[in-house]
Amino acid sequence: MIEICDVVKSFGDTRAVDEVSLMIAPHTICALVGTSGSGKTTLLRMINRLVEPTSGNIRVDGRDVMSVPAYELRRQMGYVIQGHGLFPHWTIARNIATVPSLLGWDRRTIDRRVDELLDLFQLDPATYRNRLPGELSGGQRQRVGVARALAAKPNILLMDEPFGALDPVTRGKAQEELRIIQQKFGTTIVLVTHDMDEATHLGDRIAVLDKGRLLQHGEPADIIANPATDFVRELVGTTDRAFRLLSLATLGEHVESGTADGEPLEATMTLRSAYSELLWSGRKAAPVARDGTVLGIVTLDGLGRLAARP
Amino acid sequence: MSPLGLVLRLAGLVLLVWLVVQPTAFAGLLALFTRPGQPSVYNQGSLLALTISHLLIVASAIAASALLAVGLAIFVTRPFGVDFLPVSRALANIGQTFPPVAVLALCVPLLGFGTTPTLVALFLYGLLPIFENSLAGLSSVPPPVTEAAKGMGMKPMQRLIGVELPLSMPLMLAGLRLSTTIALSTAAIGSTVAAPTLGEVIIAGLQTGNTAFVVQGGVIVALLAVLIHEGFVALERSQRRRIGL
Amino acid sequence: MMTILQTANSASFVRRRLDPLGVVVTAVAVAGLFLPFVIFKANRIVPGEGVPLWAALPVWAAIAALVGLGSVLVIAMLRVRGELKLAASGAGLLAVVLLIGLAADTMSPQDDSLARIGIGAGSWLLILALALMLTDALSRLDPGPWTRIGSLAFAMVVFGAILGSGTLNELSILKEYGSRAPAFWQETRRHLELAFGSVLLATGIGVPVGIACHRFSAMRSGVLNLLNIVQTIPSIALFGILIAPLAWIAANVPGARTIGISGIGMAPAMVALTAYALLPVVANTLVGLTGLATTTVEAARGMGMTSGQRLWHVELPLAMPVILTGIRIILVQNIGLSTIAALIGGGGLGVFVFQGAGQTAIDLVLLGAAPTVALAFAAAVLLGSFIDLSAERART
Repeated sequence: MIEICDVVKSFGDTRAVDEVSLMIAPHTICALVGTSGSGKTTLLRMINRLVEPTSGNIRVDGRDVMSVPAYELRRQMGYVIQGHGLFPHWTIARNIATVPSLLGWDRRTIDRRVDELLDLFQLDPATYRNRLPGELSGGQRQRVGVARALAAKPNILLMDEPFGALDPVTRGKAQEELRIIQQKFGTTIVLVTHDMDEATHLGDRIAVLDKGRLLQHGEPADIIANPATDFVRELVGTTDRAFRLLSLATLGEHVESGTADGEPLEATMTLRSAYSELLWSGRKAAPVARDGTVLGIVTLDGLGRLAARP
Repeated sequence: MSPLGLVLRLAGLVLLVWLVVQPTAFAGLLALFTRPGQPSVYNQGSLLALTISHLLIVASAIAASALLAVGLAIFVTRPFGVDFLPVSRALANIGQTFPPVAVLALCVPLLGFGTTPTLVALFLYGLLPIFENSLAGLSSVPPPVTEAAKGMGMKPMQRLIGVELPLSMPLMLAGLRLSTTIALSTAAIGSTVAAPTLGEVIIAGLQTGNTAFVVQGGVIVALLAVLIHEGFVALERSQRRRIGL
Repeated sequence: MMTILQTANSASFVRRRLDPLGVVVTAVAVAGLFLPFVIFKANRIVPGEGVPLWAALPVWAAIAALVGLGSVLVIAMLRVRGELKLAASGAGLLAVVLLIGLAADTMSPQDDSLARIGIGAGSWLLILALALMLTDALSRLDPGPWTRIGSLAFAMVVFGAILGSGTLNELSILKEYGSRAPAFWQETRRHLELAFGSVLLATGIGVPVGIACHRFSAMRSGVLNLLNIVQTIPSIALFGILIAPLAWIAANVPGARTIGISGIGMAPAMVALTAYALLPVVANTLVGLTGLATTTVEAARGMGMTSGQRLWHVELPLAMPVILTGIRIILVQNIGLSTIAALIGGGGLGVFVFQGAGQTAIDLVLLGAAPTVALAFAAAVLLGSFIDLSAERART
């Protein structure tokens, strides 16, 4: 649980963060969205005290962050930044082992943990353990960056534009990977992004910031359906908000009864993909299946009703 | 390094050792530069002893400059020393308009003749390139890297030793190379104020009009400087590779 | 109990009001006050006897000096506007120089022409402290090229006026000058010939070689490696090694001697200084040309410029700031290195430096070293300003 109460950060005369209060529930992903200069990064950096608030306070699991030494606080949280920030002179293994070593874990535990994480991120430990970051591709470096942040099994992961430097394909894969890992470990993630698609895709809740102020905080569907201000409406985009809404749920959650012909669609597919698939194949309905078992059907009409303004 | 380059450097090293250890082997060649009646091989002392003392003077002075200069560069790049950053940058720039010889000559009236003024001059002048390059090195650490180090809970000292110093090592070595090159040269001139260095051979030749001495001393000093320079270049290259640049 | 935030704030309170550099400046200046302001020597060689500021000056001047210095130091320690610090330190420096002259006047015995008044360690520390303050203020104000040239000219006029007025004439360094004025000007001329001549030669040779290296990449690494090795050779060794071949040329090539080539003297010095200067010129020309945006060069090509036209009208003007940077480096370097020419009979201000070192006469060393440093400093400021001006032009 992260509680942000009336936090202000001033740089000279400008308020980078202006009286923001925000509650982030455990085991959820909270996306902080805004344009550059909105204060989203400053807010994130106040959670691990890379920036210290001018006033207000931040509590993590009930404890004020200012009551522990900064370095101790930071070792308890994972931190991922754009451009990964790997140490270029350390091997991949040593990079991942950074925080466990700082915490004084013994060598064998560290080695085991490094291999475990490399496996988790589909990097063969024997091949990659002793390479230098310079020898990896951009996508691989980004994965090592996340692995390094997770090394000491933190409850909280802070991510600042973690996928910003990746091409769209690699980016999509990395986002999927993050979702799976988050569900597996139940890590609380605070994610800074300027990309509304990324925010709606990954966030359980979204907080929209502009000029240091928190404009709206809520579930993605709520923000898309009822933007609180013109700024939020612009950020969400008006032309494709119906599709954004459809992309928030999967077929499995909205199965209709009945029968339909043709190739069944997977239940894990988003409604948006299913809609596109129906249009493409020229069908009005299609069966929905999970692991080969047909659960029911999906219809164009049904999807149309789901996409309409709630 | 190309095979030809390697052969040339090895040949240089062999020639240097030979010239220093057994100078009489070159008597015939050097006699070409003498006037009748002049000795062709330096006979006023051991070349080996002069070489060793030359190297010792340079090494001790530069070691001291390196310690202080790197320390100062670290100081002005920490939050508590940042007020001194602009002035120290400007001083390093201004300092380099002082010719090393002037620093040497000014030390003599204050410290007398001998090794001491040479050591002090080499030390003082050696500070500038090392400081400037260390500063450049420390400021060239990519911001995401220092940011990540901070964000993962490294303490300032851990960041300095684990991340900042290793990453600025190639540039610091470049500064060390520059200082050493200048010091080798200035130390040779130190023999004009009675420091026991290889410059003695050249000065003795100039004073007696014996070109053979001048050539002998000149070649030894030149080879020594070029080989040490090449050694540093190789070291810098391996450091760069080690940190994945 | 205070939170961490509050302690941090109260610690930075002192930092906000006090300038840490000013504290250092004050410490150095105060130390300088307790060291000898001037040194009284019975003749020019013997070690002298230090005299503190209050004993060296008339009472009124000593009191004025202490009050003045105190107020400058207060300005140094507070965080105030840079312009104020600049004015205070400049006035302070001027005052110290005038006070040294006054002290020398006050202390010189009427009837003893052998006695010398030298500048003491305390004065040097005062000058150092105020120069630190001045440098800091200047580097923070970050003046533009014209302001820098103007300040340099102003400083030169002021210093020239002080020297011309005779205020400092009783000082030992000026007595050294007085007894060898013709030699001083002759060696200064020689020094300038060596430094500027070698820089002209090196530019004349180095820029075309750099252009050639840019056009024909095959010769690049060979040329750069060779010049790199030349630059590594210690000056005295290079001067020495050149004596043999030049002596041979003088003896065997008809007419060589008549144009001034000989084994010792100016010829080997000029050749060595030129050789040293080649690397920065060639390397910077090359970097300047390769660093140009390919779109600019492509555009010039696309408009039908011949390669010669491209070079003259596009590439060289745009590479000029980088080439000038190389020239600044070699000019400063060769003004300093020219002192070593004295060792092989090449003359220059080094003559006084080495004579002074030989006699342990610090004033004689200064007579050679101070103009050298001043020349190098002025050259660095002037060329640095030209570089900025040409970079401005290349941008617009």
